[in-house]
Amino acid sequence: MASVAELKAAIDAAIQQVSEGQAALRAASEKLAEAQQSLAAALEGSGHESVAAAHAALSQAAMDLEECLIATLAAVDQAQTYVATL
Amino acid sequence: MSLVEDLGAQVHGVAEELPLGPVTVAVERLRVGLELLQWVRQESVHDVGVVHLANATEQLEQATLALRSAQDSVAAYLTSIGLAYDAAPTADNSWRQGLAPPVPQQSTSDTDVDATPLGRWWTARVDAATGHEPDDRPVDEQDAAKDPADLLRRAAAPVRAGDRGRLRDELRRVDAPVGLGLSAVSPPVARHLATDLLGHEPTAADLPALTRQLAQPVRQLLPGVPEHVLPTLLARVCRMPPPQPEPPPENPQDGNARQAPPPTHPTDPAVTGAVLVGVLLHRLGRDPDSLRDAERRDA
Repeated sequence: MASVAELKAAIDAAIQQVSEGQAALRAASEKLAEAQQSLAAALEGSGHESVAAAHAALSQAAMDLEECLIATLAAVDQAQTYVATL
Repeated sequence: MSLVEDLGAQVHGVAEELPLGPVTVAVERLRVGLELLQWVRQESVHDVGVVHLANATEQLEQATLALRSAQDSVAAYLTSIGLAYDAAPTADNSWRQGLAPPVPQQSTSDTDVDATPLGRWWTARVDAATGHEPDDRPVDEQDAAKDPADLLRRAAAPVRAGDRGRLRDELRRVDAPVGLGLSAVSPPVARHLATDLLGHEPTAADLPALTRQLAQPVRQLLPGVPEHVLPTLLARVCRMPPPQPEPPPENPQDGNARQAPPPTHPTDPAVTGAVLVGVLLHRLGRDPDSLRDAERRDA
């Protein structure tokens, strides 16, 4: 059976990993936004179905990244709330 | 360069710059966080954010698929306008970003991790994983690895020598967060090395061959790690979902189902990932510092 100190330390370590993940997520979102703009500028006016598919995939990725970030924030919030009760 | 070639170069450049590296880093970090919180949930019977973080990890895996799909669509477009040479995929270098030090964050009382209480927890599990009796002697932290990438390289030497004792010493003297960080840095490196070993990016078809080549040396060095940990890691190397655990058999004595196995201890995938990388380096005849050289080249 783990001690309270071990549980707290494990949660702190988890939050640290998630925070590093969030930093990488934010960097990924910024790069993705730049890529979307660059692609839109380069292929403006193209009606090619592969171009439409690429735009759609990038939009989906951007949405996934945003939802992922929101879910990590909720996870950290819940973990911190639990730590406060220990 | 013609206008079409110029356009092709621009579009190709955008596809190559898609943020697969940072996303890979984020996936691995969230996985480590998830493993830790799952362990806490097992010990405390509170959710502590496991469901949210599991959803986040799933969402991120979908983002990875979407990014790869975008690359494929760009490749298809380039091929259709006669620039097929540009459509060839380049090597996946996202593993290097995983070895880079994490983005420094402002230190506050909220972000500082007091690793002390986890020290005993980490060393006890390392002892068990490497097939040793628990050892309560104080850990000699002098000259211990300071970050997971450094520990990954250091662990490779005793792996190459097949020296379980030295492996255990190298692992147990680091702070627990450093050791647990192996879970985040090892899988992309293992995939990169497996790609070099096979001569192509590993797929589901390569899983049996990789298991044949790698499982025995890993298990010899980590006799205390549960059987399912290595297949899960190898499946990730091949970008496959983890193998599903077999349903617990009925107990003929009392007719009740046996208890499901406990969730994976966070230490187990961490140390197994490091040993897997060490075995792959050995199979390729490479020095552990070759990983450091790759980092320097990217710096």
